[in-house]
Amino acid sequence: MRVHRWKPRGDRFQPHVARAMQFSSSARAADESFDYLFKIILIGDSNVGKTCVVRHFTSGVYTEAQQSTIGVDFTVCALEINGKKVKMQVWDTAGQERFRTITQSYYRSAHAAIIAYDLTRRSTFESVPHWIHEIEKYGAANLVIMLIGNKCDMWEKRHVLFEDACTLAEKYGLLAVLETSAKESKNIDEVFVLMARELMARHSLPLYGEGTLGSLPLDSSPVLTAPGPREKSQCTC
Amino acid sequence: MAVRSAEDDGPTSSRWDGGAGKADFNAKRKKKVAEIYQALNSDPTDVAALRRMAISEGGLLTDEIRRKVWPKLLNVNTNDPPPISGNDLRQMSKDYQQVLLDVRRSLRRFPPGMPEEQREGLQEELIDIILLVLERNPQLHYYQGYHDIVVTFLLVVGEKLAASLVEKLSTHHLRDFMDPTMDNTKHILNYLMPIIDQVNPDLHDFMQSAEVGTIFALSWLITWFGHVLSDFRHVVRLYDFFLACHPLMPIYFAAVIVLHREQEVLDCDCDMASVHHLLSQIPQDLPYETLISRAGDLFVQFPPSELAREAAAQQQAEKTAASTFKDFELASAQQRPDMVLRQRFRGLLRPEERTKDVLTKPRTNRFVKLAVMGLTVALGAAALAVVKSALEWAPKFQLQLFP
Repeated sequence: MRVHRWKPRGDRFQPHVARAMQFSSSARAADESFDYLFKIILIGDSNVGKTCVVRHFTSGVYTEAQQSTIGVDFTVCALEINGKKVKMQVWDTAGQERFRTITQSYYRSAHAAIIAYDLTRRSTFESVPHWIHEIEKYGAANLVIMLIGNKCDMWEKRHVLFEDACTLAEKYGLLAVLETSAKESKNIDEVFVLMARELMARHSLPLYGEGTLGSLPLDSSPVLTAPGPREKSQCTC
Repeated sequence: MAVRSAEDDGPTSSRWDGGAGKADFNAKRKKKVAEIYQALNSDPTDVAALRRMAISEGGLLTDEIRRKVWPKLLNVNTNDPPPISGNDLRQMSKDYQQVLLDVRRSLRRFPPGMPEEQREGLQEELIDIILLVLERNPQLHYYQGYHDIVVTFLLVVGEKLAASLVEKLSTHHLRDFMDPTMDNTKHILNYLMPIIDQVNPDLHDFMQSAEVGTIFALSWLITWFGHVLSDFRHVVRLYDFFLACHPLMPIYFAAVIVLHREQEVLDCDCDMASVHHLLSQIPQDLPYETLISRAGDLFVQFPPSELAREAAAQQQAEKTAASTFKDFELASAQQRPDMVLRQRFRGLLRPEERTKDVLTKPRTNRFVKLAVMGLTVALGAAALAVVKSALEWAPKFQLQLFP
């Protein structure tokens, strides 16, 4: 899949770039124009590869030596879909149970959640209903949920069948299931693009009023319907 | 056997780079080493002097010195046999899986050139130390980030001593982070904004209106910055400082970093995501010595007792927003100032001790304090005062003596 990325001008999410010049607020607004802004929370058990997935998407790099996430990390992804600039704020959370009281407060403002499991560890998949429950409890009512089974490069150690994940996704009415590999760059872009398209379709009015209703992309996933099997991207590995 | 070589940590500040400055630095350094050994060799050990040395410029200078001084700062007898367990910890521990996952992923915390075999051996030791401390102290709960603290000790003092030091540290400085829940950790984070407010109300207000919260500082606090600083020299320098000080000092240091970055923050969009993102990325070239001295000054100027009320108010404010009953319950339980450190030790103090400590409390008036602050550009009196408070915290429950 070809993904067109754009970079927010002004480097305002690159804190290490010295900003000698003070931007006036109007200059800032022009700099940072985007058509959609979505907040996504990335959750799932410890060590399923949440940080690697989001890092790979933003930088194209996979780090074997990725440290544990402590608390909540934050990344911005910028995409261009059908000529629209989409900015996605991804809140990447710690997996250990004791951090949940902290991560819960980030659910409320999220438009979508990505739940990740490690397809080589059954227990991380078995926690998925629990994560869904957390979202139901602390998130907005219409939050879009996507499930990703990471580490599909380790197919020989697979402990979760894709069919099982699909069954679960249907049961809970999730948007889609994708099997991914941050290590081998499989399906990572697809996760975020699919999510962006779905969110664009659901949020018909751009947040910052630059688009109009008429310019809405019409080829995105169906709005507000439970996913049929056709929406599930089969893992290619 | 410790792993890091005993080589000089070297000056972390570039102002020593000039020729004359370098000579001056070496002379100062030599003098400091001599003073440290003098304090170590005096009978009884001059722990107050060691604390001063750990705080003042350059800290404890080398790992060789740290191996000798850290145990003194923690009141650990190096002649005592290290803690051991007869049990098969990996079989029994409920935390083993989580510890294993975190330690396996901690490659970045080991020196870059280290042979893989040696690193893997150390990782095994790291797991053993953590499981041992947890087994011996069932009241303690493992948290992600704890391994970042333990690895620092392992690399500096070696496995056996690390186990003793970490055990002491876990039952004192880190105790609140190791509760079954993170409530007390969150409460400590609540000190951050009041400190910033005291020094720079504009910055405070900006951050409040951005609703950034304090979670960006969570990993700083619970790993003593071990998780976020890439240069190990900076990490051990900070550990010198924190080991010599009050357990709340890391939150003062966190505040000082935010204050140091004032302009960057104010230039940022006033929204939660932007400010959180900016602050959570610590610049690696911070002027550590200046910041350490500043944190010491702030601690003296605005001791935890004075901030407790605001920290509790912070909790109150959160309560207003809290929508679930659990949050409500939590917030109401923590209305009392310094509740964290107080509750656990309530009743342990006898009234006469209370009076005595209140008398020794440095309750000079603000003007005198400020005058002292003005004089202490690098350190000196402020460090002394911090040492004084640091001595008063052990045992920890004495914090409650400040009204």
